[in-house]
Amino acid sequence: MGKYFKTALILTVIMVAIAVILASVYVVTKQPIAKSDLEAKLTAIKAVLTDPNTGKLLINENEIPQTMAQLKAKIWKSSSSGILFSDERAKGYVLSPAYVFKAKNGEPVYVLVGYAIGFGGKVVTVAAFEKRGNGFYENAIRVIDYSNETPGLGARINEPKVRKRFYSIPNSGFENGVKVNKDANLYPLPKGYKEKLNYYKSKGIVVTSDIMTGATITPRAVVSTLNTMYTFLEKEAR
Amino acid sequence: MKTNESSSLSAFTAGFIKQNPTFSQVLGLCPTLATSTNAENALGMGLATMGVLILSNIFISALRKLIPNEVRIPAYISVIASFVTIVNLLMHGYTYQLWTNLGLYIPLIVVNCIIMGRAEAFASKNGIWKSFLDGLGMGLGFVGAILLLGMTREVLSVGTLFGIRLWPKTYGMFVMMLPPGAFLVIGLYLALFKHIANVRKRNLKNIKG
Repeated sequence: MGKYFKTALILTVIMVAIAVILASVYVVTKQPIAKSDLEAKLTAIKAVLTDPNTGKLLINENEIPQTMAQLKAKIWKSSSSGILFSDERAKGYVLSPAYVFKAKNGEPVYVLVGYAIGFGGKVVTVAAFEKRGNGFYENAIRVIDYSNETPGLGARINEPKVRKRFYSIPNSGFENGVKVNKDANLYPLPKGYKEKLNYYKSKGIVVTSDIMTGATITPRAVVSTLNTMYTFLEKEAR
Repeated sequence: MKTNESSSLSAFTAGFIKQNPTFSQVLGLCPTLATSTNAENALGMGLATMGVLILSNIFISALRKLIPNEVRIPAYISVIASFVTIVNLLMHGYTYQLWTNLGLYIPLIVVNCIIMGRAEAFASKNGIWKSFLDGLGMGLGFVGAILLLGMTREVLSVGTLFGIRLWPKTYGMFVMMLPPGAFLVIGLYLALFKHIANVRKRNLKNIKG
């Protein structure tokens, strides 16, 4: 009996020591982690507010937030639960807060953060939607957390040539929900498909199978997130 | 004294070629193949694993007389998991891009056979200094191996090395970036290392004969 107590005691002491070390490292790294996450978010917000076709900002340069306080001033909607909207059909979530900026033409530009489940966990996407006429035009995206996706496969989701495929999706593309080409029965890809990428986008098809071979789940998570964001905007910003 | 020094030296150098964790012991292949898509990722993964290996070897060696034999494996895993968590937190805070690129393979260092293998085979039976040298040597051997794979795959797939272009992208073999390329490259390196070992063995035999 005494042997068991001794073993339990030794293990407890080791675990307590480990817990103290981990807690100390957590305290030390808390601020740098928050800083890195904020920097990643601010960089992503600036990127999605840039027109991918012209390279020009949709809003005035001085409206781009540089600090947490400036970012907070742009909050449009927030929720204490951390989730603003979830769509069971698209299996995506819109995270709190959502931001709104004023475009140079006076129309609102919504910047939303959302996620869906990829291969190994959450794939977090930031996207900007510009209000155009009766609908919303998706301008650009940045994937800010894909840390659970496989390196060399799903983790390539934020590479410029990959994310470009998710840019500039018009209103019409979202009407029946955006799909990756494999889910839209566009596989194998026909000859000359590269010249038709924008046409496919207008039909709600994002072509990724040629540049993300062997990784359909991660881009599918991004389109699920975009569909959820669009439904949220239809409901809240129409 | 001389024997002690030479055994310390052999503990340090064993991991370079003779007992190289990747090419000789063929351990921890999953993260090695998955994260060696380019040289930068490979170096990051190699250094993170080496850091955990050194720290866990030191810690386990220091506690080897305290940890009861029956519960040594869960105790080792707890120690290794703690150091992996520390590395994960530090990378998240200070090397955000690399942390995002390496993804789930950072937490998975916990189950890397190299670390558990050295804890069980070496650190639990030797002193702190020798365990540190063993961790450093094996870690350097692993960094070398994964870096070699990463550099080869990056050069062959996209024609760059650490992002610096060596030849036009058109000449790249994209398959080298994918899992089949990883198996192909490691297969060729394993054959090369086996050949070197055979040649050395034959030479030794000839000298003795």
